[in-house]
Amino acid sequence: MTEIYPIGGGKGGVGKSFITVSLGALIAKWGKKVVVIDLDLGASNLHTLLGMKSPETGINSFLNKTVKDLQRTAVPTIIPNLFLISSSHCSMEIANLFYAHKLKIIDAIKKLPFDYILLDLGPGTNFNTLDFFLTSEQGILICTPEPTSIENSFRFIKTVYFRKLKQIAKKSAFNSIFKSTSLDLNKPETMPHDIIEIVLKHDPDKEAHFRDQLGEFRFKLIFNQFRKNIDATLGNQFQNVCNRHFYSSFEFLGNVSYDSRIHDAVFSKTLFIHKYPHTQSCADLKKIVEKITNNKHQRVSQKKYYEKI
Amino acid sequence: MKKFEGLNYYEILKIPANSSYFEIKRAYKDALSLYDEDSLVTYALLSKAERNEILNEIENAYWTLIDEKKRTAYDMMLVDSGQMEAATTSREKLNKSVPISSTPVILNENQLYSRVREKMATEEIKKLSDEILSGERLSGNDLKKLREAAGINIQELNYITKISGSVLNAIEEDRLEALPPDLYLRNFLKSYAQILQIDPQKVVDRYFKTILLAQKKDTSDPH
Repeated sequence: MTEIYPIGGGKGGVGKSFITVSLGALIAKWGKKVVVIDLDLGASNLHTLLGMKSPETGINSFLNKTVKDLQRTAVPTIIPNLFLISSSHCSMEIANLFYAHKLKIIDAIKKLPFDYILLDLGPGTNFNTLDFFLTSEQGILICTPEPTSIENSFRFIKTVYFRKLKQIAKKSAFNSIFKSTSLDLNKPETMPHDIIEIVLKHDPDKEAHFRDQLGEFRFKLIFNQFRKNIDATLGNQFQNVCNRHFYSSFEFLGNVSYDSRIHDAVFSKTLFIHKYPHTQSCADLKKIVEKITNNKHQRVSQKKYYEKI
Repeated sequence: MKKFEGLNYYEILKIPANSSYFEIKRAYKDALSLYDEDSLVTYALLSKAERNEILNEIENAYWTLIDEKKRTAYDMMLVDSGQMEAATTSREKLNKSVPISSTPVILNENQLYSRVREKMATEEIKKLSDEILSGERLSGNDLKKLREAAGINIQELNYITKISGSVLNAIEEDRLEALPPDLYLRNFLKSYAQILQIDPQKVVDRYFKTILLAQKKDTSDPH
């Protein structure tokens, strides 16, 4: 079974690409086949973090149809089992992706034969980022323990939520309801909560279905650039508050300690976890990887258990 | 956004139904700090209206659960409506062991200060405090008189200053042998004076003079 983890977060510079590469490399070391996909379209640089030159093939070759199968655009990295699908050679205007192209990419990603697929997303909450984030039933949210970043994370969660809601609504023919309520989406106070309320008033029978669908999405949280003077329980508090006030489930995966050598590694274009394997940050990342890989086993065994019943 | 819809007071405070006063108090404080408008975790999550609604619910939950009568009535309501089993509410044993000092007087510091300010402004009290500070020395009994006149009890003083009850008593009763070391005493007296809103330095100076005098007496008197 393939696990897809889109990795996003509202703010730029919180370390999405760094975490993507590090997690990818560490999971690959467990013997799993992993691909990291650079979906920060128009600003891609995963290859640099992996210490590689910009690969010739990538999403560009898939979109211009020189390569038919997305799998064949994956290039090996210096780490065995870890592959990269780059977007560095895409056209200058790739950031404004056509809707059809986006669907094509998402569709192809879902079919990739890897154990783990990590999607490195761009900052912000534009539709591309949101739709890539919703490729899977789960996503990792990277955040730094600063007010600005936490603020952006909530905004990100809320917009993902809203996008998800719209997806569900379309699928279940709620579309007309949305239209008939003529929601003013430009009003800042229009929140998923309000929309649910409105839909419920229209169609109470669908209430449970709606909640279940939203509840199926699983957010995972990582606090990056964590410094010692910050309350270590912040992540758990964040998780509890989100679980309480949103319908989806939230799991805090861990803090990744701040280390100035991470910047050094980026500068020298080498992989941090290779250059500094015995640092606190690396230990933190390993713990997170354990949680991610355990998650899979747990869910698989749970599924088997239910199937038996 | 879910708020606290459909949650009972125990669920809002995240405590089991047989929680003791201590647990309720702690849970309440935790909840208040989590939903405070300066809380790093929630400040960006909630709108002002949502925050107020949530804080309101927390207050309701707290004031119901720390009041024995209200809590019993609330529990019965939960049991009657099938939200809770009768057995889970039995907490007689837990409550018996609660010492007096933990009586649920949660005080708002600002409230206390404004109460004292009002009192201190009255002619009677003004006269009393001026009288006490006019002398060259003052005793613990003077402080006690002023405290009582301002309508503050020892538990409130203990709650706000965090000075233990036994030390407060020793200060008020001028029991030299039970007083803490000078450095601590100085600070305790300052906090005490701040609550009464009288000049801390004057109180410290005068109180220490009293102690010195008493110590001299002690040494000159072989008993």
